[in-house]
Amino acid sequence: MAIILHLDFNSYFASVEQQANPFLRGLPIAVAGKGRHSIDVAAAHQGSARITIDQLSFQRSVVTTASREAKRRGVKTAMGTWQARKICPEMLVIPGDPQKYGDITKRFMAILRRYADVVQQFSTDEAFADITCACGGDYLGATILAQSIRAEIALECGEYCTVSIGIASNKFLAKLASESKKPNGLTVVPPHEAEDFVLTRPLADFCGIGHRIEKHLERLGATSVATLRQLPLSLLLREFKSYGYFIYNSARGLGSDELEPNEDPKSIGNSYTFPHNLKNEQEIYRNLLALADRVAWRMRKQNFVATHIAGYVRYGDFGGYGFHRRCQDPLIDGLDIANTAWEIMKTRIDAQKGVRLIGVSASGLLPLGGSDSLFDSQRRKTRALKALDQVTDKYGSGVWQRASTLQTNFKERVSGWHYDHES
Amino acid sequence: MVRESMHEFMNDPIDVSVDFTGRRIKPKRVRWGTKVYDIDKVNLVHGAREGQKRIFYFSVSDTANFMKLKLDTETLEWRLVEVYAP
Repeated sequence: MAIILHLDFNSYFASVEQQANPFLRGLPIAVAGKGRHSIDVAAAHQGSARITIDQLSFQRSVVTTASREAKRRGVKTAMGTWQARKICPEMLVIPGDPQKYGDITKRFMAILRRYADVVQQFSTDEAFADITCACGGDYLGATILAQSIRAEIALECGEYCTVSIGIASNKFLAKLASESKKPNGLTVVPPHEAEDFVLTRPLADFCGIGHRIEKHLERLGATSVATLRQLPLSLLLREFKSYGYFIYNSARGLGSDELEPNEDPKSIGNSYTFPHNLKNEQEIYRNLLALADRVAWRMRKQNFVATHIAGYVRYGDFGGYGFHRRCQDPLIDGLDIANTAWEIMKTRIDAQKGVRLIGVSASGLLPLGGSDSLFDSQRRKTRALKALDQVTDKYGSGVWQRASTLQTNFKERVSGWHYDHES
Repeated sequence: MVRESMHEFMNDPIDVSVDFTGRRIKPKRVRWGTKVYDIDKVNLVHGAREGQKRIFYFSVSDTANFMKLKLDTETLEWRLVEVYAP
């Protein structure tokens, strides 16, 4: 039977900031996401402008991570900073620094890879590790190994960057175990204790049971693990289709122990929420093109071409639509991706409603072939893109921009699975 | 009530004295304009890339200030990029 370890950083971005700046330790702080007045830390470090952080300028931003001190006062992730300030007026807001967090993510992943047989990154601050062989197949060995991992993280990432660790026989249980004791917890659930352990946990802690499913289960009479176990599989399948199997199994502590390391991406996409709603078609197209250029660059960097383009538009009133198109020829250029998306978008877009968010993604990814196109114009374009990619590799992203996208300005995201500076 | 603290981002040239320990360097003293700061602690070091250029950031503090120092490994130039005083 496998032994799976789940590792989760506590208040990740805030802890890294408190590690870097000791004067923030013990204080309620929030790391701000991008907002109209937030600053792009990496850009600020290169420019000549002097920027004084005015706490009031974060009014339109959101909390991406709250420190444990802020959480104790009721501040939650994704809360607007104005709302968080109402709850906790003394809270300090810190602009997010994705380069810093990205470096720490690489460090803890490297530590895990040194110890584990297989590692699966689950998000920027979470990972699963299969330690079955590394710990000699027993839970005492697993506990000792977890303590060593924790000690190395303190050494290499800083003692303020604490982690909660869960150890169990599958991914679902390991994550549930790490969630059960925060901060700085270590929870071991050997197989013979699994069923009882699950009984003690609230359904809201289950990874895979979100708010809507929880409410749906409540309507079926399941408000706890004990009551969920009383629901027959047939009922769960009728209500949740095949997802019913997952719900049925999770109530019994059953789950997959297979880790998925370094899978090829199924799609590569970028989305952006604008600081103000876009009401002009030209402006919408310009931003779509800038986003498509980012997607195309990431795609070429990973040696893929796209055969499908998808996207979505969200309006200020949170309504919107999605679209999808299969391409006749594989695409590698941002302009082609943008034009493919725009062909569909322009027929349906209602600019008067104000576009709040645009997303564009490339899927049906195929390996980038080495053979040259038969057409001269295509060959010239490929050569130009190759040269631009070399310039980007050497001087960093943002070194070139199409004239038509000069008026677009994307701030780096401080949340999510990927860091923008790594794409 | 919002806390009164000074938090600034900048990109000012500075002089830094460092200790070398094996392959690691540790900033010891910073001269920023006419002011000199003795560093008590290096709290975090992280790397970044500007294209192929490797950059290191040192988050350091003395008894009263937090400073973030930037080292460009290509030009070996040091910059003060962030200051926080509680």
